[in-house]
Amino acid sequence: MPTSATSNHPGRPEGLIGRLNSANIPYEAKLKSLRDLKNQIIGNRTKKIAYLKLGAVPSVVSILSSAASAQGCIGDSREFHDSVLIQSAAAIGSFACGLDAGVKAVLDAGAFPLLLTLISHLNEKVADAGARSLKLIYQSKLAPKYDFLQEKNMEFLLSLLNSKNENVTSLGASIITHSCQSTLEQLALSEAGIIKRLVSLLGGSISQKDASLESLAAVIKGNPEVASKFMGPESGRALNLVIELIKDKHPRTRLLACMCLISIRNTSTSYLQDSGIKSTLVLVLLELLGDPGQVGDEAPFVLSSLITEKEDMQKIAFDANVIDNLCENLNSVSFQAKRLQGTFLALGDLCSELECCRDRVLDSKVLNFITEALVHDSAEVRAATCIFLKNASRSVKNLSAGKFMNEAIAVPLVQRLWDSSTPVQVAALGALCNMVVDFTADKSLFMKCGILRHLVVLSKSMESAIRVSAVWALKNLAFHVSSRCKEEILSELTSATLASLISDPEASVQEQALSLTRNLVDGTLNSVNYVIGEDGDLVHAIGKQLQSTSKAEVLIQGMYTLSNVASGNELHKKAVMTQLLTRAGNDSETLMIKSLQSSDSRLRTATVWTLINLTLPNSPDTSTRVTELWSAGIVSQLKNMVNDPCLDVKLRARMALGQLMMFGDALT
Amino acid sequence: MPVRVVDTSSPSQVSGTTAGNTLPPPCTLLSVGQSFSGTQNVSSLQKDEAWRVNVRIKGCDLDHGYLCGTMEALNVPMADTPVVTFWEGEIVDTKNYTFFTGKWGATAEDDIKHWTKFPSFPPLLSQVEVDGGKSLDLSNYPYIFMRWKEQYFVNVGPDCGLTIAGFYYVCFSCNDGSINGFYYDPNSSPFQKLELKSNNDEKSGFRFSTYELQ
Repeated sequence: MPTSATSNHPGRPEGLIGRLNSANIPYEAKLKSLRDLKNQIIGNRTKKIAYLKLGAVPSVVSILSSAASAQGCIGDSREFHDSVLIQSAAAIGSFACGLDAGVKAVLDAGAFPLLLTLISHLNEKVADAGARSLKLIYQSKLAPKYDFLQEKNMEFLLSLLNSKNENVTSLGASIITHSCQSTLEQLALSEAGIIKRLVSLLGGSISQKDASLESLAAVIKGNPEVASKFMGPESGRALNLVIELIKDKHPRTRLLACMCLISIRNTSTSYLQDSGIKSTLVLVLLELLGDPGQVGDEAPFVLSSLITEKEDMQKIAFDANVIDNLCENLNSVSFQAKRLQGTFLALGDLCSELECCRDRVLDSKVLNFITEALVHDSAEVRAATCIFLKNASRSVKNLSAGKFMNEAIAVPLVQRLWDSSTPVQVAALGALCNMVVDFTADKSLFMKCGILRHLVVLSKSMESAIRVSAVWALKNLAFHVSSRCKEEILSELTSATLASLISDPEASVQEQALSLTRNLVDGTLNSVNYVIGEDGDLVHAIGKQLQSTSKAEVLIQGMYTLSNVASGNELHKKAVMTQLLTRAGNDSETLMIKSLQSSDSRLRTATVWTLINLTLPNSPDTSTRVTELWSAGIVSQLKNMVNDPCLDVKLRARMALGQLMMFGDALT
Repeated sequence: MPVRVVDTSSPSQVSGTTAGNTLPPPCTLLSVGQSFSGTQNVSSLQKDEAWRVNVRIKGCDLDHGYLCGTMEALNVPMADTPVVTFWEGEIVDTKNYTFFTGKWGATAEDDIKHWTKFPSFPPLLSQVEVDGGKSLDLSNYPYIFMRWKEQYFVNVGPDCGLTIAGFYYVCFSCNDGSINGFYYDPNSSPFQKLELKSNNDEKSGFRFSTYELQ
């Protein structure tokens, strides 16, 4: 008989599901099937996935729903119903544990509100099972966001945190960790007295400690006001409790205590700055990097939050040999996604400022792992690898030494420019942007990889972040290259595209496009000729942009471009003169006078260099230009600048004035 | 435009209360991409024995007092090709670095002996003797003092028979972009003089390229 056959093989999934769904078998048998199911899937990802595909979750949720609505039973019947509630809640929790597809199925089947009702169940075991399950759901990003700003929700949260049941209090803390994101939410939680309650949980069980540390980190993160409340005179004790917990015997507690302290110190430059705590944090995390489990997977991320943009912390980490430990991770993890991502992120942070770190990383042969990491299945790993490469290549010394001139890196990195994930694309562009400054005249490695064509296409992207980065990379590619290479760049890009990038709606794109032009026209007279041509359209586009912008960076790059053009022939100089002596719209001043009077000394410097190039004594038409400049009031303006507060401006103004005065006698 | 009139012929000493910038000023002639040409006298006695030298600035980070570039020696007797080295520079900015080297085998006495060979240094001497120049305000001084230390050979192996064990005391003039330097290596002939001029000249005009690392 088929039913008895399946009951003899409780491991066969189809039979088990059949029994859960059957209306004709006794509830006792359903309870047994629930238990079987739960026991099979606990800790077994493969089984979970198999049962998910068979639609086990809606079946279990339906049983939970029926049992929950059959409240009010008495005696044995109540006990039986409670068991069904407990077993179905446990099975649901297990499906949700560590598997996003499981969480999704659980939420789709409507389990969430049912589990919430279990928390207030009279039977403590039922409440406990509900809380455990919800806690597991709240470990996933897919869990629903809890709205703290609704008064009744805050009351409910406080009731959870005040519960005597350990799992219920931990659930409360997990809800905060998952849902607290905005400053407003942090303040609301703080004002509701949550911090005090969380601090009291630090003295509880392991799970309460852990949940509380994680929530405290979330409530304080990036919020100086909440941090100061935590650090206030009454809570000095709280801080000491957290500091004590970085020495706890449980690795996860140590990790979360570090996370909490880092959250506090990152809100202000005055918290936890003494060298003792700094090196303790580094040393605790260093040890946790070696943890073989989840703690070791998360440790590099916590380390990253400790050292990112903090040169002093990076130096302490360097001195503690953190780089060696991270590199060991690369040797031993056989590319597990999460740990690999964290490792590259932390290595990237270490390489962001300090040359000693970059040297150590390169000596550790990290680059040998790059080729494989760049084609990893996980987009997060690919992005982290690119970010690492960007920071590691932020070194003129190593770029000059050709440390990144390696096809095994360049080829897969260039391919990432077309990654399906935008963050990977942007990160790959960032890395290539640095690496193309390879200080060779022909940039042969990158040109051979076809980078030019890719960058030109990306410079027309609709995503402004990609457009900026692509033009930035083109600018770096054009830095001090041979005339032949410049011609290749312009011929692929075309003057028309260059002109349209100069007038892009984004100021940051304009700035990069102007500095790309600046590099293209720095070279022989032929370079200037090739880029500017005879029609002067590009110079006109530059002048127009300079007239219409107020952004200092755009003005500076534009003026240096004009200055480089003014080092060309008489026609080039004439085209520059026209732009500089133009008044835009209702402007009472010319572009040149406005730029000379700018409050930004860098713009004043660039403008005076342009004047110097326009008035070089041995150019045939200088005398005509001097007459025009004199009439435009340039000489009196320059006289005001011979004591400019910026030394560079002052010296150049004197030089320009000297050149102008050589022709001055004829004009006065 | 109203401007502040200051006498910049000599550097001032920072008083205890004045904060603000006392670092050497940024100078466009010492920016990335700028190149210089000149000579290095290999012996201080025989003026004729000089190598032609080209220098190009490749990196500049004023916040960290850092400058780097390449140096190409053209007629080196022992080498078949020009020898290119990569150097890193410390800018004496009184914040990151003082006039005292404190390494590379140079004593404070060696430092003073070399710095005083630059005509622009004497106005600073008395203060440098006190504290290495830490309290000097160099923000308006038209000379920038540096140490350049060669780090590796770019185009030849380390066994090429040449040494880069020493370093250069360098003085850059913001006025005309000229560079003077003295090589210091206890094992080489003393006071080998480096003299360089900015390659921008008044015939072709001044050009400035740029790159930025992300």
